[in-house]
Amino acid sequence: MVMARPPPDPLFTLRGSAAPVNTLQFHCSTAGRPLLYSGSEKGCVHVWNLNNRRAERVLEGHDGASVIWVSTVDSTDAFLSQGRDMRVCVWDLHEGRSAVTHSLRTGSVGFCQCSLLEAETNKTLLALPAEHTEEIKVMELASQTPVRSLIPDSKQGMLMCMKMFQAESGPLLCAGYEDGSVVLWDVSHGRPLSCLKAHPEPVMCLDFDTDRQKGISGSSDKTLTSWIIDSQQNLQMQNSVLLTNPGVSQLCIRADGKIVAAAGWDGNVRVFGWKRLKPLAVLQHHKDLVHSVAFSNHPEASQRLMAAGSKDQRISVWSIYSES
Amino acid sequence: MELHTDLEVRQAVAPCLRIVSSSRDSAEVTEALRTIIHYLEGGNASASEKAEFNRANYTRVLQVLVSSLSSDWFHSLPAQERRELWDGFFLRGPPDQALLVLLDTISSTSDGSGLDWTVSVLESFLSAGRVGMLLWSRCLETNGRPDSVQLRETILTRLSSLPDLTANRLRTNTPARLLPQQYYTDLARDVLNTLENTCRALRAGQDCSLGFVAQLLGKVCMQGHGGEITCVTLAPRLSSLTRSDALWRRVSCKLLENVPDRWVESVITALIHHLHGASALSRVMGNLVLKNKKVQFVLTHKVLLLQYQHPTQLLRTVLGYLALDHDRRPLLKQVLRSVCQVWSNSSAVRHTSLDQQLYVSKALLLCVNLLNQTEIQELREELLQCMLGGVQCRLDSSTEHVRRMGMVVGECLSQKLDTPTSQLQFQNYGGCLLPVLSSYFPSDRPQPESSGQSAEGQSMMSQPPAASQTSAKPAGHSSDSELDSDDELTPYDMSADQVKQKATPPRYVRDCLEALMSSDDPERVELSLQTAEELLRKNVSTAREVSVQFSKVLLHLEDRYSTAGFHTLRQSAMVALAVIHTQPVVEYLTTEFYSLNYSLRQRLDILEVLALAAQELSEPITEKKAVSQPVARAVTLEQCGEVEHWRQVVEKRIQSKTRRISKGASQPPKAAPNRYAPVAAYFFFPLLRNYDRPQVTFDLLGSDHLVLGQLVHTLGLLMHLAVNAPVATQMGKALLDFVWAIRFHADQMVRRGVLFAVCAVFLSMPGENLLLELSDDLVETRAWLADVAESDPDADCRSLAVQSLVLLEKNLKTHLQSPSMET
Repeated sequence: MVMARPPPDPLFTLRGSAAPVNTLQFHCSTAGRPLLYSGSEKGCVHVWNLNNRRAERVLEGHDGASVIWVSTVDSTDAFLSQGRDMRVCVWDLHEGRSAVTHSLRTGSVGFCQCSLLEAETNKTLLALPAEHTEEIKVMELASQTPVRSLIPDSKQGMLMCMKMFQAESGPLLCAGYEDGSVVLWDVSHGRPLSCLKAHPEPVMCLDFDTDRQKGISGSSDKTLTSWIIDSQQNLQMQNSVLLTNPGVSQLCIRADGKIVAAAGWDGNVRVFGWKRLKPLAVLQHHKDLVHSVAFSNHPEASQRLMAAGSKDQRISVWSIYSES
Repeated sequence: MELHTDLEVRQAVAPCLRIVSSSRDSAEVTEALRTIIHYLEGGNASASEKAEFNRANYTRVLQVLVSSLSSDWFHSLPAQERRELWDGFFLRGPPDQALLVLLDTISSTSDGSGLDWTVSVLESFLSAGRVGMLLWSRCLETNGRPDSVQLRETILTRLSSLPDLTANRLRTNTPARLLPQQYYTDLARDVLNTLENTCRALRAGQDCSLGFVAQLLGKVCMQGHGGEITCVTLAPRLSSLTRSDALWRRVSCKLLENVPDRWVESVITALIHHLHGASALSRVMGNLVLKNKKVQFVLTHKVLLLQYQHPTQLLRTVLGYLALDHDRRPLLKQVLRSVCQVWSNSSAVRHTSLDQQLYVSKALLLCVNLLNQTEIQELREELLQCMLGGVQCRLDSSTEHVRRMGMVVGECLSQKLDTPTSQLQFQNYGGCLLPVLSSYFPSDRPQPESSGQSAEGQSMMSQPPAASQTSAKPAGHSSDSELDSDDELTPYDMSADQVKQKATPPRYVRDCLEALMSSDDPERVELSLQTAEELLRKNVSTAREVSVQFSKVLLHLEDRYSTAGFHTLRQSAMVALAVIHTQPVVEYLTTEFYSLNYSLRQRLDILEVLALAAQELSEPITEKKAVSQPVARAVTLEQCGEVEHWRQVVEKRIQSKTRRISKGASQPPKAAPNRYAPVAAYFFFPLLRNYDRPQVTFDLLGSDHLVLGQLVHTLGLLMHLAVNAPVATQMGKALLDFVWAIRFHADQMVRRGVLFAVCAVFLSMPGENLLLELSDDLVETRAWLADVAESDPDADCRSLAVQSLVLLEKNLKTHLQSPSMET
């Protein structure tokens, strides 16, 4: 038996955010200038140039309130950031500008991140957590008109995380709640399709793979659970894997559907095979909780990196399983 | 007519006999014998003549024949004729007379061809089924000839001990047919044949008497091994024959009824050992138990309460037999009452061996299980009394097995007696005894008492629900390509993925102490406890500064966070303290042992720590301290005893088989001063100081005998470790004085401790001092030890007492020899 390879070291680390890193987003589609956006607890968004590995710009638009989510909008080249000041800022970053064009009030005091869906129908939907802790609001981003409000009937507690995606029948949304259940919503009709009690503890994060109709959710305990949406649009438990230490703050499935990364509260990033949740690697680098992981959307497969942002104020960038 | 025949036969036989005994002409003798042969079975004489011959002349003829064994004509007879003329007389006459003559001849003839011939005739006598004939002829004599009691008795004795009689004479030359195995098997077959004939005769309306067969059976069983062999053959046949035939049942009951009282017990015992199942016993015995007082005593009392060596199968058979018939059920209730009485008797709990208690418990459970609901209601009061009393006095016992037995039986009884809501239930008991015992008690509810099962069940339950869903994959979603695709990604080394601990272990002794004293953080306390021993041993000087305080904190430490291995960790830390700073720590611990407001557990802990510390001090310092295994050694004697034991045996065996090549070159062990010898007194004497002063919370000589047992044991250990120390003599004296007072303690743990302490004194005290000390009580001590070795209910006590006796004898011998050698 050959000894297993030692786990890789990070390609490089980005220091200088000067605050715990809450959220990450790659933006590599623009040729020649791969960028990484990171949102920090101090309310700043850093824009990192991955070529020279330096922060190009720092965006401050949330009055020092922690930024919990950032996203680029490909169709309009806009940029979104969600802060704990109960606002989502829409930025215009064209040609060196860094101005907030407008902001959307969410009214949410929780930690739930927004979810963006850019459907091909030229209609960009944004799902936001709302004033009621269990409510989800879906609005059209361009016109800022609310589309739906999704409120569960039964007591499922606070909304913890969500992910909106396009299905054949229309936009769907998976939401994780405080009691550990995952609910599948039909956004166009505003009704729940299925509910699955995936965890005994609150659902901390989830991600969904539209190609395989399969999602994964993590909790504050030691299990990761994957589930599928069957032909009747019911959620079904599929697989689960036990972690060594409890708590996962974010899960991210790579676009090619080969691996999934989990940001652990123990400071490790764990990589699993996406098909059967086979444990592949435990990346130890951060000295504190890892808050976020993200995979790059670089057009070249070999350049697709993985970034992890931690409470220890560092962002580590890794190249893992990117050879083939 | 009668007279006439009598005379006629005598006149015909007498001359022939004269010829046989005196003539030298073999032709003449042959002729005479042929005349007499007419009177034998198959001859052509009339029936009355034959009967007269058999009655009056047969034995005489046989005797003459035997006396002619050495005559010329006997030797000149060709084998064929010899067989016909000589052997024929033995095989064709009344078998009882022939048997007697043959056996007499065998025992009185000296070695030679005559003896050989007689033995071979005896063999053909047996193989021709003459014994069966004998039995059958006796059965037919229902009222006929008033047999002389003496003759009957003689025949019985000869028949039942034939193998012994022949073996006495023939020794190793005894043929196989005359050896017990073969003989008694044949005898059993003959008995069965006779019974079969009886059945046939009864069907034909003929009367039969089973008296003789019954007596024979009784006598054979009485004599021991013969009975075993007979019953092995007899019991299964009887069981199967009685199954279908009511007449057989009657015959078999009649047979047993006819067994004389003095032998009936051995017959019954042998039979129930070989009859499988209550119904078989019921068929064979009928209602004998109601008719025969002796049988009743054996079945309802002796087998259940006085003996305990029988297998459980026998218990089942006997109790089932009592339960089977309506008439016998009152006996079952009576049995239950007496078993209850014994089970709940606290004196029995204390003074009978564990095996016997287990046996009685089995009987109780089986018995209760056989009762139906109305009977239980009727006996409810008594059962309840029995349960409460028995369970209570068992829970008080210091032997773990006894406590557990009480709990299991209590639960089983309560299950029968009470409504499901108000049943007695004990939370935790594990161990090997339980499944065995509770298996006698088939339960209709899910069994909490079979520990193995429930443990398994719990572990299944306690798994997180997610894990059990791993296998629940929806079908039709796993294509082949998916199966492969994970495998192309080779996993990295994940060995570094360890459970993360939030707190770091303390690095300084004082930090550790602080955390143990005042921290509310479970993780910190746990880490401190885990590192305490290592820290203390590393930082000896700091440890000395805080040793007593640290000991105090550890002694009062409670397992608030159910730390894994809490007791072991705490104990090893306390031992480390006692070793590092012996005098103050030991002084502190020994004072605390007798002070107010400690729990039994804490006092036991103190004793264990003292014992372990003394042990460590007495061992030479080795560079690599052996893996701290001694923790288990003194902790729980009764639990670890067995494990330790086999381990030692294996160790020894390995040692003896291992050839050590480097042995010759190895350096001799370095001499080092014994660290324990100078401080032994600090350990020992304070513990003896206050034992007789009862306090509010602690009464050593009263109810707290658990601690007393442990205390005596610890003192014994301290004594043993002090071997060769100058103070050993004083310690031995004090210890002997102490244990002398409690040597008849009711609790076996205490007695065990006392004997252990005595052993330790005998081992460690210098011989001359020992005898000087014992001189007055020497005789009494020996008598006491001998008495314990013989009659203590506890097996450990007995073996310890034997050991002490051996040690004492050895001491005495060396002491008595050495002066004589000097002079």
